[in-house]
Amino acid sequence: MPPANIAPRIPVEERLFSLVLALLATDAGLTKNEILSTVQGYRQKFAHSGDNANLERQFERDKDDIRELGVPLETIESPGQSGNNQNLRYRIPRGAYELPSDIVFSPEETTLLNLAAMVWREGSLSGESRRAILKLRSLGVTTTEPVLGYAPRVRVRDAGFEPLSTALEKHVIVTFAYLKPGERESRLREVAPLALIQHQGRWHLYASEQETGTTKTFLLRRIVSQVTLTTTSFPPPSSDQGATALAELDAVWNSHTALVEVVPGSDAATRLEKRRGTVTAGSGALELHYSDINIFADELASYGPEALVVSPPQLRSAVRDRLLKTAADHG
Amino acid sequence: MAERAQPRHAQDKLAFLLALVPYLMDHDRVSVDDAAAHFGVPAEQIREAVRLIGVSGIPGETAMYQHGDLFDIAWDDFEDNDQIVLTNLVAIDDSPRFSAREAAALIAGLQYLSALPENADRAAIASLSSKLSRGASAEPSQVAVEARESDATLALIRDSVERGVQIEFDYRNSAGVGDLRRVDPLRVESVDADWYLRGWCHLREAVRTFRLDRISHPTITTERITHGATDVTLPDSLFEGSADDLIVTIDVASAAAPLLADYIPDGVSSLEVDGRTRTTVRVSHYHGLKRLIASMPGVATVVAPPEARAVVADWASAGAARYSEQ
Repeated sequence: MPPANIAPRIPVEERLFSLVLALLATDAGLTKNEILSTVQGYRQKFAHSGDNANLERQFERDKDDIRELGVPLETIESPGQSGNNQNLRYRIPRGAYELPSDIVFSPEETTLLNLAAMVWREGSLSGESRRAILKLRSLGVTTTEPVLGYAPRVRVRDAGFEPLSTALEKHVIVTFAYLKPGERESRLREVAPLALIQHQGRWHLYASEQETGTTKTFLLRRIVSQVTLTTTSFPPPSSDQGATALAELDAVWNSHTALVEVVPGSDAATRLEKRRGTVTAGSGALELHYSDINIFADELASYGPEALVVSPPQLRSAVRDRLLKTAADHG
Repeated sequence: MAERAQPRHAQDKLAFLLALVPYLMDHDRVSVDDAAAHFGVPAEQIREAVRLIGVSGIPGETAMYQHGDLFDIAWDDFEDNDQIVLTNLVAIDDSPRFSAREAAALIAGLQYLSALPENADRAAIASLSSKLSRGASAEPSQVAVEARESDATLALIRDSVERGVQIEFDYRNSAGVGDLRRVDPLRVESVDADWYLRGWCHLREAVRTFRLDRISHPTITTERITHGATDVTLPDSLFEGSADDLIVTIDVASAAAPLLADYIPDGVSSLEVDGRTRTTVRVSHYHGLKRLIASMPGVATVVAPPEARAVVADWASAGAARYSEQ
């Protein structure tokens, strides 16, 4: 049933859907004028002789929304017309839009991917993971029921995560105030974000600092201002930044060891023994790894008298100072 | 950005349409109910989408959306029998690629799940991740989550569920009290680096949540389970409050307040003064509280009741005193 030309109220999704269809169907691309005057949802509002500024702005927003879904909406210049904005042509190349036909997922893989999406059900990646699952379902594969039910969850509580992940995707420089432990004042940092990594339950930003030209790892919870995206972009880095950053954090983790005495049978003994990489030393004390002395001191302080740091001295005094502070605050 | 009035809604509906069309193309005939079940959405959402698809298309040669330029469906079958049959196709041939962020979310999710026994095959995970990368319309953003080694306790839990038998283990709760527990495992949950088993506890005769890192010496018994995952409705939140819970008033640096979110009951009003928030938290006993507060030195302080302050002070003092021993 063809749409009646008299219906002026076209729902937004119909306009977006019609735009995607029109741009998929064209090889040569369509000019903005062609789109606005012929595509469902625009054509009803198009003024053949007059100002279409509102409609053009709507088209700009629609393009952004469509691209956000991962649809490769391309802009190409008309032959011999370079530099002329009115003659830019738009299209969605089929090959870049469609999932390659050799990419198929087995029911077991689909089940795993469903779980992987569930990990993000809270917070800023929840929309992305929901849409990813939609696309998986589009392939028609059914899932297998796992033997044991899982409800995995990664939380993103740091306010900086959302703007940083946008900056990662757009490859733009960001600025934020960062408070280094032990320093009284935060300092403004200007960095090119390379990866966001969760290590030991905490989110880190791996980034290249503009001022020094070196890569650094920042803890998101120590970012004390809003993260601001600049308009300066940088060339996309190689695709192994996440792996590199994780390896660096692991190296730091491995290089820091502490010797901690725990009361046998206590909560400290049970849980610290199960920490990754823990070794029981000859004395019965635990040899533990950590990445950040301040964070680890917080963790150890929670065990009160159940854990006693033997070494290193800095960690020893950090834990003692924390316990004294807590005791004083509650005295 | 008030101008960006376009509801997110519409974007989601578009994503749904682009996913539904290839699915319908692959099924010569499918009922609305089957499609709804497959996508996990209400039947009416499928009908609404199909109605729109049925009248959509491309401007075509004439730029007039002629009949052949539109999708078409067997309308009678749809209206009378709730069956979907596409009779004319336009523009779309296949499912869309993942966006860079969608692929990144799934890849990082897979990394995070590496502790699951189902994920023991690392080569399979690597190949799955590379498929996701290739199936994305742009290089997946770099979001990575530390992988955990496969967890032996998780593997045992899974094994016990497969056999339908109870699992037994030593469990020391945050009060420092240890018990031998027999549990019918219901579900494994996690929050970031912390993993939990939820199950029917035969000792307490109730659903309980156990931290995996507090479980020692797990073994599989030969005793049949009495409560299966389908028999028990688990509440959404990991820790349910009980009528016996203690209410404690806390002052916390506002920036750190989210760390206490799990303990703050719904509907509690918090008061913020000078970057510090005064709020109330709910705890089952002070043993958990003293550990929580001691892990936030200078950041969180118990204000009331006095017994709670005393428990925290004693805990921290006892800890500090150990550093004066020789």
